[in-house]
Amino acid sequence: MLMILIVVVSVSTLYFVIPAVSDAAVEPKTFLTHTGLAIQTTGDVIDPIGYTGETLEFDPESYLRDFDYGTVSELKDGTILREFTITARDDQVMEVSPGVYYNVWTFNGSVPGPTIRATEGDLVRVHFSNEGSKSHTMHFHGIHKAEMDGVFENVGPGGKFTYEFLAEPVGLHLYHCHVHPVEEHIAHGLYGAYIIDPKEGRAPADELVFILNGLDTDFDGENNFYGANTVPFYYQHHPIEITTNELIRAYVVNILEFDPVNNFHLHGTLFHHYPAGTDTVPSGFNDMLTMSQGEREILEFEYKYPGLYMFHAHNTEFSEKGWVGSFLAKDSEKNYSDEN
Amino acid sequence: MAEFSNYKIALSAIGPLILLAIVIAFLMGPGTNFLEFGLVLPEIHIEQINFVDNEIQVIVRNTGPIDVNIVVADINDRIQPAAIEPDNHLTKFETALVRIPYDWNEGQPYNIGLTIDDGTRFEKSVDAASLKLEANIELIGYLGLIGFLIGIVPIMIGLLWFSFIQKLGSSKYKFFLAFTVGLLLFLAFDAIEEASEISQRHLSDIFNGQLLIMTVVILSFLILFSIGNSLIKKSQFSKISKPLAISLMIAVGIGFHNFGEGLAVGAAIAFGQVALSTFLIVGFAIHNTTEGFAIAAPMARTKAMVLRLVCLGLIAGTPAIFGTWIGGFSYSPFATVVFLSIGAGAIFQVVVSIIQYMREENENTLSNTSIILGIGLGLIVMYLTSILI
Repeated sequence: MLMILIVVVSVSTLYFVIPAVSDAAVEPKTFLTHTGLAIQTTGDVIDPIGYTGETLEFDPESYLRDFDYGTVSELKDGTILREFTITARDDQVMEVSPGVYYNVWTFNGSVPGPTIRATEGDLVRVHFSNEGSKSHTMHFHGIHKAEMDGVFENVGPGGKFTYEFLAEPVGLHLYHCHVHPVEEHIAHGLYGAYIIDPKEGRAPADELVFILNGLDTDFDGENNFYGANTVPFYYQHHPIEITTNELIRAYVVNILEFDPVNNFHLHGTLFHHYPAGTDTVPSGFNDMLTMSQGEREILEFEYKYPGLYMFHAHNTEFSEKGWVGSFLAKDSEKNYSDEN
Repeated sequence: MAEFSNYKIALSAIGPLILLAIVIAFLMGPGTNFLEFGLVLPEIHIEQINFVDNEIQVIVRNTGPIDVNIVVADINDRIQPAAIEPDNHLTKFETALVRIPYDWNEGQPYNIGLTIDDGTRFEKSVDAASLKLEANIELIGYLGLIGFLIGIVPIMIGLLWFSFIQKLGSSKYKFFLAFTVGLLLFLAFDAIEEASEISQRHLSDIFNGQLLIMTVVILSFLILFSIGNSLIKKSQFSKISKPLAISLMIAVGIGFHNFGEGLAVGAAIAFGQVALSTFLIVGFAIHNTTEGFAIAAPMARTKAMVLRLVCLGLIAGTPAIFGTWIGGFSYSPFATVVFLSIGAGAIFQVVVSIIQYMREENENTLSNTSIILGIGLGLIVMYLTSILI
């Protein structure tokens, strides 16, 4: 009797302890590591390469060059009115990296929110509605009246608010939710870029937006992932196609939470940079830029030679957790469609 | 009539079980959402980290209440591409092997992290990376030699005290018998302590390490106690003398114990704690000499038969060799905890057998100065030799 008991106990213990073995013979797959090592496996490959972005229809590829100029009309006095409709939500779950699901709080359904763009002197009117379960606001950086600051007038769930101000000064600004605890509202994704172009315009260029951000997916006050435009490693595996000898203008916004400093390092060329984009004279010619929380810079550069060039945080912890990407510079004089 | 009452007894035994099953079905069965409140948090546990050529291999188990997907692997908090076999979906209790290609450095500490689908990261650290041992003739020989040195050699040396014990007078003999009781008690507690240390460090909470140890210790005690009793009973009708039966039980108990210790030593070598295992081996060698003594003591009243003694020594010592092999090539913290606990239970059984024997020899009492002194000194000697480990 005792022996039977022992046998039952040990067999059931072994059942739990011995690893469950899959009996299906699977064809081995090969995958390459970051250092080019080829590994064969019969199992699954876990690598943040296969991001499809299906869950929330957020596409870092199109976000890069997507500018929201609003609905444009002209007032009696000739002022251009730009109207934007922005909706805040806090119930969405997004596949932020392959297989990683995170509750994002969004302006118009994406992290970062849309890039709001106006010209100096325009009247900007933002119809904000809060469809979330918490209070949210929109706090714009720039010059405006105190009551348009989006700090003291919390917009509760289901509430609406209209922000209105003249677009000034020229530069690369930022908007984000300013409801306490601000860190939480920003870390969850309530932010976006706000660009004010000079009246005379800027030199023609291939313009790109990079919002440097991070994701604290386990809420321990440290970022688990870093990125440019949210998705870790995205532009590394989907290089941004540009052309040699063409001016590239990058609008870089650092909205990283938890880490006081972020930076931007460019390979293969150097850039002129304009802090907050407010001045016409560059502050420097460099391939490194260090930015604190909330800082913005406009970068202007060209590539002389074609090829694949990295850009990433030179704080390599960030780059190895996702804040890394590549430019694929194609020769402006060659016709690539013939070759491919 | 008798059949009817048997039926009634069976029903009265099964009845409550049926009612319990109905209650469980009500709480958990399909279609009920009675218990669907509160949050269910997923959990995984990294059980083993092995360093092989250009690769770090991690064995991970789903120790939470729900299925999880493992989606990101990192080394020192830096994300690495990895493979997971058989697949990245882990049902409850399922394990998977995560292979992270990585050019690791010998002797360096590493922290391995795995992130699951809800973004939670779980981690485990290794103090110093060292190449996982691969089975080859040389290594099998090496580990076998170590098992031989910590198991068989010291026990055989200890057995040489046989003729010394044989020449002792009654009260001195009692003293040395009691001395072995002290030695063995210490060994048992030592094994329990080691088992609980391993379970705390390497076993997930869901195994309830402390309760597992208690359960296995008591079970192994009960089983060996019933076997030992029947063996001793048989000895009254056969050629096996009672002291020999007791010595045999001691040897078997110590054999279990040495198997567990072998696992620990093999694992220490496998994990590259060479400096530590040198001390461990020397310590065990000294420590285990006393085991030979424990086996020899009850037999000292019988005629000296070299072959018998050697056999008993082999029974007690050989498991150390197998333990070292298994511990060195496929270390399982769970198996080590279980075998250390079996060893402890076996030793408690031996202690009880010797005490019974001593009571019978001592007019059914244990209150004898040499017995109490013997047990106390046995514990002290073991404590002092244990400091060497």
